[in-house]
This record gives sequence, structure tokens and C-alpha cells, in this order.
Amino acid sequence: MSDELRFESSFLDDYFAEADEHLVSARRNLLALEGTLGGVASPAVLEELFRSFHSLKGISAMVELYEAEALAHHLEGCLRALRQGDATLTPVLFETLLSGVRALEQVTAARRSEAPLPVIDGAIAALQSAASEAASPARGADPSSQPARQRPGGPSPSGRLWKVTFVPSPELTARGVKVDSIRERLLQLGHLLAVAPRVLAGGGIAFEFDLQTEREDALQAMRGDGVSYEPLGTSDPATDEAPAASGSATASRAWDIAVAVPSNVVRVDLSRLDDLMRLIGDLVVTRARLEDTLRRIEGSVAPRDFRALQEHDTQLERQLRDLREGIMRVRLVPVGEIFRRMPFVVRDLARDHGKRVRLEVTGQGTEIDKFLIERMMDPVLHLVRNAVSHGIEAPEPRAAAGKPGEGTIRLSASTAGESVVVEIADDGRGIDTPKVAARARAAGLLADERPLDDRQLLDVLCTSGFSTRDEADRASGRGVGMAVVRGAVQELGGTLAVATQPGRGTTFTITLPLTLAITGAIVAHVGNRTFAVPQAGVREVIEVQRSDLRTIERHELATHRGQALPVVRLGRLFGIASADRPRFHVIVAGAGASAVGLLVDRISGQREIVVKTITDPLIRVEGVSGATELGDGRLVLILDMPALSRRLRDGPRLKERVST
Amino acid sequence: MVRTALAALDDVSFVEAASGLRAIEMLVTEPVSAVVLDLNMPDMHGIDVLRFLRSHDHYRTLPVMVLTTRHDEASREAALAAGASSYMTKPFTPGGLVQSVRELLDARVARGGRS
Repeated sequence: MSDELRFESSFLDDYFAEADEHLVSARRNLLALEGTLGGVASPAVLEELFRSFHSLKGISAMVELYEAEALAHHLEGCLRALRQGDATLTPVLFETLLSGVRALEQVTAARRSEAPLPVIDGAIAALQSAASEAASPARGADPSSQPARQRPGGPSPSGRLWKVTFVPSPELTARGVKVDSIRERLLQLGHLLAVAPRVLAGGGIAFEFDLQTEREDALQAMRGDGVSYEPLGTSDPATDEAPAASGSATASRAWDIAVAVPSNVVRVDLSRLDDLMRLIGDLVVTRARLEDTLRRIEGSVAPRDFRALQEHDTQLERQLRDLREGIMRVRLVPVGEIFRRMPFVVRDLARDHGKRVRLEVTGQGTEIDKFLIERMMDPVLHLVRNAVSHGIEAPEPRAAAGKPGEGTIRLSASTAGESVVVEIADDGRGIDTPKVAARARAAGLLADERPLDDRQLLDVLCTSGFSTRDEADRASGRGVGMAVVRGAVQELGGTLAVATQPGRGTTFTITLPLTLAITGAIVAHVGNRTFAVPQAGVREVIEVQRSDLRTIERHELATHRGQALPVVRLGRLFGIASADRPRFHVIVAGAGASAVGLLVDRISGQREIVVKTITDPLIRVEGVSGATELGDGRLVLILDMPALSRRLRDGPRLKERVST
Repeated sequence: MVRTALAALDDVSFVEAASGLRAIEMLVTEPVSAVVLDLNMPDMHGIDVLRFLRSHDHYRTLPVMVLTTRHDEASREAALAAGASSYMTKPFTPGGLVQSVRELLDARVARGGRS
């Protein structure tokens, strides 16, 4: 690749990142506008939207994506017309804007995947006609007729200074005369320097506007609308200064002028952070070696020197951990990035299906590794789509079931220890478990007749090719969806769970590790082999006597907290020979009825490991998620606790608890 | 979202102001018993609205709940110093908002405030 091409491709990456930001922001602002349909749209939202489209236009032109530039240009035109008219946003105009944004998204997405660009002529024509309709002819669409808004550095103002007072009343409000409309009218007349509310002697409220205008006649015409005015005396020290200085006087009063806060955000290429993380990984390994060396020389140095060395080592460990956490924090982004698009997905899909759906989002601020967030987008999207298309019923069946016609989907994120939990819950019809079971049996996926529990239900749903829908629809795909969802979650070291209640709804829960690269692990030994077990999947470690183990139906059980705990010998699982011992350590994963124990010879300690995941399908083994290097340079395998415990539970059907 | 959440208070009616000036105007045109104030408004800062209310005998005891964003301890403290009755940090759950507004109203009734 030549330098020029490389430059161009990194330039394009920047473009996509930035275009994405503007599109997301535009989507958000459009949604905000939807709330004011038919009324007066918030000028701030319009302003922000306008800026998004304006920026998109500029950057699209820079990368010569002229289709995107044209769309952004016409979207911008619509908004300009909207701002110059009385900003009445009709549902038709709103839909036009929305489809314009959608076309823009399609164009950038097509460019990114180097696919043929979609045809945008229709969208552009719709935007053009919408723009000319929105600009009300009475006001004219000529930008030069737009009065100068009060802004430092704007066109130099002229005219006399007036103090205009507006006293609102219920009668005026009933006539539509409100402080906002008065303010808009004054803005048309000239240069508005300041606005401030004031308390009247009788307990009422008045608004005082400092206005510079030549149009005294227009002020006079407003007298009937609760407006009075008087010239601002030159003796008033606040207005004694030249008009040029009055701008700063206004700003210092902090009224009516939006102060732009400088952004102190730095955008960093993710690969640079990956490099840093890798370096820290190397440091962790080096320190582990140092620790091993220290242990070896303990006998051969003076105890005082050894203590000093050990102290430094401990300090190094702590600092290294802080450094790692610091880098990790840099990589964390709010999970809200995934959530922000969901309202649109839900809205579009609900309309397609003739359903009424409300989306409740909580915990957007929960932070998660950037790497994870990009890979979680599709699974979460899929589950949300499923919730709308399969979960929530149409309004009539809901009413018949005594539920509100509008369904609710709750999307939430929270942190639990080293994990992030994302939940997608609907209050729809729930999954018809017996029907799923019958289908699975018919398809030969299920051998026996016993009813499915939630976990087995999920296994069936996640079997590739399984679908309860007779016809695949746009939202749900063809039964590969859930398999892909679970695959994606598991690849990231997470777990997927489902809970469903007939008629009450379904909740999918995704649990993910906060980060992937470095994690705390327990070092376990079986025979002459060593394994690392990530702490995130471990609930506790217990010691059991051989005499405490009982065998029931060829499965071993230990007693733990008054409950029978099914245990599996890791050595037997992996075919490692080990001598029989009087005592074992058991690593417990899962809680309640799904708890399982992994029996090992002994646990030798706890340490930070650098995870190298094994993704090559040819060498992947179930139960092993990766490999790591311990301090002495030995490579050890990292056990995949969620996969192992799944396998332990699935093997024998140990549902009946043996009480002791 | 705030509006949807508050709609759940079925025995309470609410009015909505899109801007700070409009909010102040509404005190005259649509007397209210409590105010939920978002600090981020298009025209003026929520704190300024609050300061104005507190400088006015008539509105000194009006319960005002301030909505702030996360990581913005400065505004929260400024709001409390300016006389906010309570605050809530965004993002919040609709249920939490309704609960807080309810508490605010109940406290006012307990104190025997005007309606």
C-alpha cells in the first residue's frame, strides 16, 4: 500500500467515525423534535440538527462522497426553511427529515462496506419540496431578510436602545402571546442585548428586554400584547458604553446567550490503546518473573535486603495494577452508545408491525470496554428487534389480556463486580415453552419428553436453524439469530440467560466481563498440570475431604452449605492422571440450583494473567478459553468456567437436588 | 421522557415549559405547586431560573427539583446553594422521578404550603 493510499484510508476511517457521531446526534435530535410535533420546535434542537447536517455536508465533500453531501445539503435546506418559517414541524415534514437521515446513513454505510450506493433521487426530491413548503411565503426564504440575531461579532447594530417590558397574563397566554413569541418578534426587529425577568410590586412577573432597533413603530404595534417600552436613558451606566461594548456587558449577565464550552475530549485511535495494553501485559509477565526469581533467592540474601526487595516488588505490583486500571478506564465508553440507536429501531419496527411500544432505557452511563461495545451492538439490536416483533403483542390481544395497549421494552445496563449486565425485557406474551419443546422434538433436537427449564429453552432457541415462526420476517431473520447472539456473547467471555413467563414477558440477560485483556485468575493444579481460572466466573473455592464425596448414579456430589453440589474432577475431564488424595480443592461456579464444582488437586494462589484467547476453530477446545504465560515462562491453559459449568450441568440431568 | 414519566402521577396535572423564560412566565399564567427544573435549557441556565424564583418572596417556598447530569457535581452544588429543594441525577428511572416528585409534593402538604 502506498503512503498516499494509506493516508486516504485512515482519512476515510476518520470520516466514518465523525459522520457516525453526527448521524447519531441527528437521530437523537430528531427524536427530541418528534415530541414537539405540530408545535413550536425548540430552537436549540433545530440549531444542533442544523449544525450536524452542515458538518456532514462539509466532511462528505472532503471525501468526495457527493451523494451524502447532497443529502446533507437538502436536509440543511429543510431546517433552514423550518427556522425561518414559524418553525412548525408537521408530521409529514418530520417523516421526510427522518427518511433523509436514513438515506444518509445508507449512503455512508454503503461507502464503508464498498457496496454500490443506494439511489437517493427520491429522498432528495422529497426534501426539496418539503423545504419549499416549510418556508412560509409570507416571510420569504431569502436568508438576507433574516434579522441579525444577538451574537457578539455579528453585523454591527444600529438604532436606539429601548427597554421593552412584557407583562404576561393568563389572558395573553390564551391568545398565544407568550414570552417566547414576544422574544421572537423582538429578535426580528433588531438587536436583542439582554432579557431578564423582574418581580412586580404586586407579586406578578415582568420580562425586560434591552433592544436596539430603529423600528419604534413596530414596538408601538405591540402595545396591545402586554408590551410597554421606553428609551434607555444615557445616564444608565450599563448602557453608557458604546454598542460594541454592550455585547460583553450582556454576556456577563449570563442571560440569553449560550456559552460554548470548549471540549476537552481527545479522540484516540483504538490501536494505540491496544499497544499500551500489550505493553502493560508484557510488564505484568516481567513482574511475575521477578517475583519467581525473588522466591528462589530468598535463602541466599540477607533477610533485611530481601524484605526491601519484596517491598519494592509489592509496590511495583500495586502501581502496575493502577496503570492497568487507568488504561482500562480510558478504553471504557458508556454503554449508552448502543442504546442511543434503539429508540429509532423500536419506533420503525413497531410501526411496521402495527404495535405500540414504549422503550425505557436505564443505565446508559454504565461503562464497558470499547472493544466489547462494538461487538455487542448487533446482539443487543437483535434481541430488541425480537422483543418488538415476537415479544410484544398487537394492541388488541394486549387489551384482551388486560394489559395496556402500549407494550414496554426495558433496556438496562448495570455493573456487577467485574461484569457488566445488560438486560432486554419486554412485557409481551412470553415464550411458549411447550410449543418450542414440541418443535424441537419434531426437529430431532430434543430426545426426551421432560419439560424444558429456562436454560434448556435457551439452548433450543440458540440452536442454529431453529425458529418458531413459520415465515421468516424482516426483523427476525431465519432462525440463525439467537445462535449468532449467543455465539457473539460467548466469544466475548460473556453469558446469555433467558427468563420467560407466559403472558407476562421475556427477559434476556447478557453478562459480560468489563475487559478482556488482563484479568485476575486462580492458579489450580491437577497432577503435573497447571491451569488458570479467571476469577470473574468463580464464586468461591472450598476444600473437601475425600470422605465427604458421595457418588449417586455415577455422579459425584459434595455437600456445601447444606446443599448437594455436583462436582466433576478436572483431571477426569481432561484425561490427566493424578494420585488419589485425602483432600481436594473445589472451585464453585454459579449459584443456587445451577451451582457446580470443579474438583482440582490444589489451588496454589492467585495472580494477574494476560489472556491470549484461542479463536482458531481448529485448535479450539470446549472448556479452554485461551492461554497465558506464568512468571516462569511456562504456558498454561485458561479454563472457560461458563462453558465448563454448562457442560457439567448438561451432561447429567442433575435437576433433582439431594437434600442432606 | 420526563413528561412520560410524570404522566404516571394520575392525580397530578403538569404543564411543560420549553425554555427558562417560558417557565417563569408560567408561574403567573398556570400556577403550579412544584417545579421540576432541567438545568440545561435552550435560552437560559436553570440555575438562573432558580435564583430568580428564590429572590422572589412569592416563590421562595415553591418546591423545586433540579435535574442534573452525571459528573456535574459543580452544578448540583450550585443548584442546592441557590435554593433547590431536591435534585435528581440523569439518567434516572421514570419510577424514581415520579417517586421524588411525589415526595416533594407530600412534603409540601405536610408543611401546609399553599396549593
